[in-house]
Amino acid sequence: MQMSCAARPLIGAVCVGISLAAAPLARAEDPGPIRIGVIAEAQAVAGSSIPSAAQLAADEINAQGGVDGRKIEIVSYDNHSSSAESVRAFQRAVSEDHVNAVIGSYVSEVVLALEPWAGRLKTVFITPGAASDLITANIAKDYEHNKYTFHGYLTSSSIARLVCDAAKDMLVDGLKMKTAVVMSEDAAWTTPLDASYAECLPKIGLNVLDHIRFSPDTTDFTPIFNKIEGEKPDVIITGISHVGVQPTVQWKSQQVPIPMFGVASQATNSTFWKDTNGATEGVAYQGVSGPGVAVTPKTLPFVDAFQKKFGNIPSYCGYTAYDDVYIIADAIHRAGSTDSDKLVAAMEKTDYVGTIGRVQFLPEGDPHVHGLKTGEGLITGLFLQWQNGKQVNMWPSSLASGKLQFPSFVKTGTAAN
Amino acid sequence: MLARILKSPPVWISLIVVAVASTLPLYVSGYVLGLLTIAYYFGVFSMAWDLLFGFANEVNFGPTFLIGLGAYTAGILDSLYQPPIILCIAAGVAASVTGGVVLALPALRVRGPYFGLTTLVAVLMLQNFVVVAAELTGGEIGLTVPDVISINDRTNYWIALGFMTVSGAILYGLSRSPVGLILQASGQDAVQAAALGFNVTKHKLAAFIVSAFFSGLAGALMVFYLGAASVGTFIDVTVGVQVIVGAVLGGRRTILGAAIGAVFLIAMGEALRPLGDLSTFIVSAIALFVVLVFPGGLLGMLKGAREAT
Amino acid sequence: MLFWQILIDGFAISALYALGATGFTLIFGVTGVLNLSHGAIMVAAAVAAWAAAGNWGLGPYLGAMFGVGVGVLLSLATYFLIVQRLQRSRAIREEEKEIFILTATLLWGIMIQEAIAYLFTNNAKTVLPIVEGVVTIAGVRTPANEIFTACVCWLAIGALWLFVNRTRAGKAVLAASMNPKGVTLLGIELSAVYVAVWAVYGALAGIAGVLLGMFLGVSSYSAGPLTASAFSIVVLGGLGSVSGSLIAAYIVGYLETLTAYLISPAYRAIPALLLLVAVMYVRPRGLLGRR
Repeated sequence: MQMSCAARPLIGAVCVGISLAAAPLARAEDPGPIRIGVIAEAQAVAGSSIPSAAQLAADEINAQGGVDGRKIEIVSYDNHSSSAESVRAFQRAVSEDHVNAVIGSYVSEVVLALEPWAGRLKTVFITPGAASDLITANIAKDYEHNKYTFHGYLTSSSIARLVCDAAKDMLVDGLKMKTAVVMSEDAAWTTPLDASYAECLPKIGLNVLDHIRFSPDTTDFTPIFNKIEGEKPDVIITGISHVGVQPTVQWKSQQVPIPMFGVASQATNSTFWKDTNGATEGVAYQGVSGPGVAVTPKTLPFVDAFQKKFGNIPSYCGYTAYDDVYIIADAIHRAGSTDSDKLVAAMEKTDYVGTIGRVQFLPEGDPHVHGLKTGEGLITGLFLQWQNGKQVNMWPSSLASGKLQFPSFVKTGTAAN
Repeated sequence: MLARILKSPPVWISLIVVAVASTLPLYVSGYVLGLLTIAYYFGVFSMAWDLLFGFANEVNFGPTFLIGLGAYTAGILDSLYQPPIILCIAAGVAASVTGGVVLALPALRVRGPYFGLTTLVAVLMLQNFVVVAAELTGGEIGLTVPDVISINDRTNYWIALGFMTVSGAILYGLSRSPVGLILQASGQDAVQAAALGFNVTKHKLAAFIVSAFFSGLAGALMVFYLGAASVGTFIDVTVGVQVIVGAVLGGRRTILGAAIGAVFLIAMGEALRPLGDLSTFIVSAIALFVVLVFPGGLLGMLKGAREAT
Repeated sequence: MLFWQILIDGFAISALYALGATGFTLIFGVTGVLNLSHGAIMVAAAVAAWAAAGNWGLGPYLGAMFGVGVGVLLSLATYFLIVQRLQRSRAIREEEKEIFILTATLLWGIMIQEAIAYLFTNNAKTVLPIVEGVVTIAGVRTPANEIFTACVCWLAIGALWLFVNRTRAGKAVLAASMNPKGVTLLGIELSAVYVAVWAVYGALAGIAGVLLGMFLGVSSYSAGPLTASAFSIVVLGGLGSVSGSLIAAYIVGYLETLTAYLISPAYRAIPALLLLVAVMYVRPRGLLGRR
């Protein structure tokens, strides 16, 4: 095309003008990666899955192009199971490393220490594994200040209710059990758990004979088991997380004739069989995941990918941490921004099928605001039992692949089995 | 004498360091300020410990007994009745001084390892008490205190820095004063000191009280900085270890060295944070190395270097 | 029934305490060192036994022996790397050596503890038991492992007694604890005596650790409390007195068991601690202390 001599400088000026105008636009289109801080107990068996699973999710999202073109970067901190270190990590994550959101911890005490900081520093914070009801109760008490926190796992009270549901089907209806003793560790998450147990167990037909709360530092469980045995219940309903190996091994070594059924977080770990040298045979526990159990179409592909990348099976909070990265990414996409207040509003509208079920958060006004909705079609959890080195799912019946079996030293009375 | 103290190299170097440190908030992030604030409180813990060890030659294995008493008394008082913070702090100091006296009485009657054991038992007792009386103290979960002195990191930083400087000045001055010399004499050779007419026990008791005063005060102030108290932050033996190692690392019997050592330990622990799991291992290894190879501590290393030139 | 239960459980746990405390007191009595990495060595031995027996498939016997071997190695390392170095150091005054050794062994203990947590996580481990199943004694169902633990502890203590009182090497050790200079005058290499003592200590701590691992299980967190417990028992019994430690171990073991059964498991440690405080006030030497 022929251009007049005068037009060229004009076109040149227009080009320069357009590129000058476009430059800030180009910079605005490249605001850098989305940073998600992950604070976890990396030395603990359960906690080590959290940063790994989060990284896996980030890698998958980035492989698909990121969130609206922005890559996700995971910045991870080991809190050495300490609340004080977690607080320092949170402060560092927000002020030094400029994260847009934090995924943190499966220990209730740590999450409760971080909750006020999420409010003070106005940063979205979600826990993939802690259970204390106080987490959501604090949000209900002061929504404006605490709304940045989300409870990405089941509350202790809903866990207790799920245990009762499973107990009704399998123990009361199935094995005709009538009495129970509750055995739980003295920790923040068991206070609401035990309160819910006390309420729902009698309702399903199990009379609670005693309630034993032991210090989490306990190493010798002999007197505890002897005491329980003296009361002759049909089942021990458990609430243990900080301890696991020692009571289980001692239960077997003493040949306590009463089955253990309930919440035992360490039993969810795939290494638990080896850790207890097989003593966990027959221990039945509540979980949100199990090997080979396709809770949703996303569950098993996640497990495979995790195993391929890290060489071991994820712990329960690995599943939820993985989902949490997707949930945050999805919320950023819907909000069109990483501004915390907009992010909170977007997260509240979450409707996401994750690896443990369909995730929706309870709305403002609910006493468990920002907690997970439970129930059929949403999240029900599973009930599994260790049998011959494998974790087999027993409940709900639609996902069950086995029946309850107890070791020979356990007497289950009039077993319908 | 004051003039002599002011002219000595460690003193004016310290003054320069403090002056530089006070300008940090102008260009350093809030996170680092928070870290240094805690480090400065630990500096006071270590200096108070060094007075007792370095001079009175009494190995206190449970500095956290005194620190914990101060911190928890102040914290519990605040969470129960919310009186003005000053009152809580005063109560904390009173508690730790009382604790110091109660501890000193049996402890000073025994020698060598028994003294250390007595102090260690004191810590275990306090720890057990806090865990068992959980309704009052928050138990293992910890106590959240409703008031904090300030949420501004600069304010907190300057308070901590100022406190450490003043405490350091007092403790250092004490150590170089006639009283300090008597303490040193009693520590190194109690029999001779007594023969010279000095009441050894009274002086050691005084050292205990001073150490308790500063430990309790620092503990109480730290509670109102963190807004929380827990066994793991104030009482656990590992905290005591940090205090002792800080003092030994910095150079015992120098007071100022203790502050340096404490700050160094905390800064190092933080700098190694990216290593995650191994950081405590490495910090302990480095501290062990210094203890084995340079028993004079960091300050001793510097002095040695100067003498060599 | 309860009476027999308390009697048997108390006996087993006390035997375990006794073995741990005996080693601790042996080292202090002969070398004057309060080894604050005691608990860490016990845990290391237990974890090594767990790894060997379970992870590497060596089975319970070889695993246990491996664990004890690790205990001996760590103990000798403690002596050569730390204690000997500090004891021979000319840069530290005599009176101060004790605090340096205390601090150094404390740091060393922390290093061992953290290394264990890093390599094996801080989750509790139980060692594959050599003996399984239960036996019934006086109507009380007791794990056979518990009886095994008590027996091995007493065998070890008996072997130690034989060593010290009936063998030449052992008598040299006893002599060294009373008069180191005198021993050298007899032409016995003092450093050889020390190496022997640390090796024996390592074996005792290793056995105690492995047994504890089989009976109750250990984790890297156990290291501190184990040291504190050995410390308190030894002080109660009298620093340097082996028979004192044995008696004190049984007093503490039974106090704890009685409290756990009759009052509540949560208050288990309190009476022993109160007793310790009382002893410190009234008779700081301990029951049979001689230094």
